Amino acid sequence: MYIELRDINKSYGDFKASDNVNFGIEKGKLVALLGPSGSGKTTILRMIAGLEHPDSGDIIIDGQRVNDIPASKRGIGFVFQSYALFRYMTVFDNIAFGLQVKKADKKAVQERVTELIKLIGLEGFENRYPSQLSGGQRQRVAFARALAPNPQVLLLDEPFAAIDAKVRQELRRWLKEMIRKLGVTSIFVTHDQDEALDVADEIIVTNSGRIEQTGSPLEIYRAPATAFTSSFFGQTSELEDYTRFKFFDRVDNYDKAFVRPEFIKMTKKDEIQKYKNSAAEGIVEDIAFRGNYIEYTVNSNGSTFIAHRALDEEKVEVGEKVDVFIYRLFITVGNEVRLLKNGSIREEMVVI
Amino acid sequence: MNAVSKTKKSLFADTSVSKAPVMSREGSVSIHEETTGSKAVKYLLIGISVLFLFVMLVLPLITVITEAFKKGFGEYFKAISDPDTASAVTLTLKATVIAVLFNTVFGVFAAWAVTKFRFKGKKILVTLIDLPVTVSPIIAGLIYVLTFGRQSTIYPFLEEHGLEVVYAVPGIILATVFVTFPFISREIIPVLEAQGTDEEEAAAMMGADGFTIFRRITFPHIKWALLYGIVLCSARAMGEFGAVSVLSGHLRGKTVTLPLHVEILFGDNKFMPAFAVSSILVLLAVMILIIRSIVEYIGKDRG
Repeated sequence: MYIELRDINKSYGDFKASDNVNFGIEKGKLVALLGPSGSGKTTILRMIAGLEHPDSGDIIIDGQRVNDIPASKRGIGFVFQSYALFRYMTVFDNIAFGLQVKKADKKAVQERVTELIKLIGLEGFENRYPSQLSGGQRQRVAFARALAPNPQVLLLDEPFAAIDAKVRQELRRWLKEMIRKLGVTSIFVTHDQDEALDVADEIIVTNSGRIEQTGSPLEIYRAPATAFTSSFFGQTSELEDYTRFKFFDRVDNYDKAFVRPEFIKMTKKDEIQKYKNSAAEGIVEDIAFRGNYIEYTVNSNGSTFIAHRALDEEKVEVGEKVDVFIYRLFITVGNEVRLLKNGSIREEMVVI
Repeated sequence: MNAVSKTKKSLFADTSVSKAPVMSREGSVSIHEETTGSKAVKYLLIGISVLFLFVMLVLPLITVITEAFKKGFGEYFKAISDPDTASAVTLTLKATVIAVLFNTVFGVFAAWAVTKFRFKGKKILVTLIDLPVTVSPIIAGLIYVLTFGRQSTIYPFLEEHGLEVVYAVPGIILATVFVTFPFISREIIPVLEAQGTDEEEAAAMMGADGFTIFRRITFPHIKWALLYGIVLCSARAMGEFGAVSVLSGHLRGKTVTLPLHVEILFGDNKFMPAFAVSSILVLLAVMILIIRSIVEYIGKDRG
């Protein structure tokens, strides 16, 4: 493990920001710290950077305990949420700053900055000030500035939060590609699951100061390990009483049952469906057009949940009676999650 | 999206009004008056302001200048080249320069401390910085007399080391510094507050030391506010009368500043020289006003 956190605890007064946090990150990986706001993800990032100090526990980078090493000596590049670009310096000076304070040779600085400006595709913008750049360009400058001194680790605090939705998508891809290309071990904080699933090699899910689960995006999405992750990922809806739906094993002491839209097949009354006999009747309560699919809010057996239908399927109206078939669902027992499959499916034919 | 829907709405409203032409004419006139006010009100307000400024400011200024030159240029120059006047000018400038220097350093430090750190008693500190503006200068002067004068417990120590404060130049400087205390920090604090600590934090993470951070990040930000604060501080320092009057002892040629000198001349019924010396203060004030305007102009330009 290249970066390791061992038994980290951190409190602000009564508020426990980190509660016995343990995890390791391999060299060269791009990792997302994902959780709702107030879950302690930014605190973890700032502790790795050295901007905050844990009350107890060890932070290890490359085999060395760095708890007592100041932020500036840890070899870490940090991209702030607000970017914190130096507003009275040009793009060139912003990127050069980290090298200049380390008393780097003037020619070397010039070369490195030129190289980075080329990398971020902002040639010709060297003499602009941050206020003259767009949000996406500012983020690129912040990225280049953090990378200038060749850090071993790159930390990014909500790197896409301040960018409008359209540019965000594009920038995500760009950042992912850049980080792959450079091979720098990177951790970014986000509260957006799509962002984490899309960009990260590995996701660390945080909730109220604890680590809920770590794993690849696919692992976490397919096999949530805790009650929190099972409801956090995907567009989950809670079922009132799942045993009212046909052919699911009974678990008596379960706490909650969750379904995702991809677990559900919703068909019009006159449509043919393989498992029609096991389907339940439901009423469409709301319709939302989502671009490449249509989202339906359905009420069935006392539960309200979300189902999707493709654009080329026949449209269903609000108030229409439909058949709802649930392939599978998650139930939580304590903090444990179980995946239940509909008994009417003989063969394993559907994979998420 | 919002803006678009709003314009659409207002367009719609316009067309609905134009269907009823009488309504629209009445409506448009009343809206116009409500938003811009009538011309009569405008000129009345301007007139009142100008009249007020003329009576309160311009008239006295004209009086000062005419009284000063009443007996001709010769007498005027004789009055202002008097050795006591020269010494008053020197002392005023000396006190002003020292007060500005001291308060620049103090003001920057205090503003930095208050905006960049979180600590207990911060509000008390901010209030204390403002204290000199709220306390009457006379009381400020008295405080120093009591602290450094003969009845003070530290007086024997001061005497032993030959340090004269009360009725001496150091006292005058002290009083001037006290009175002009908040002027610079008050200008910088809002600017620093608006900036936040992100940039400094980023620079520190890259290994910049405190001085580099100040020089390259903080200072460019507060430059114009600082300059403006210095201008205000100078203006106030030159005109200070109350606190200085208490501490001065009015030793002619030694501890008399320009405002005190004017008062003394006036008390001696030497009206013409009093006005002549006043004109020097007026000249200095006008110079400061010009500098202030330039600083404001350039500062606004550069953001």
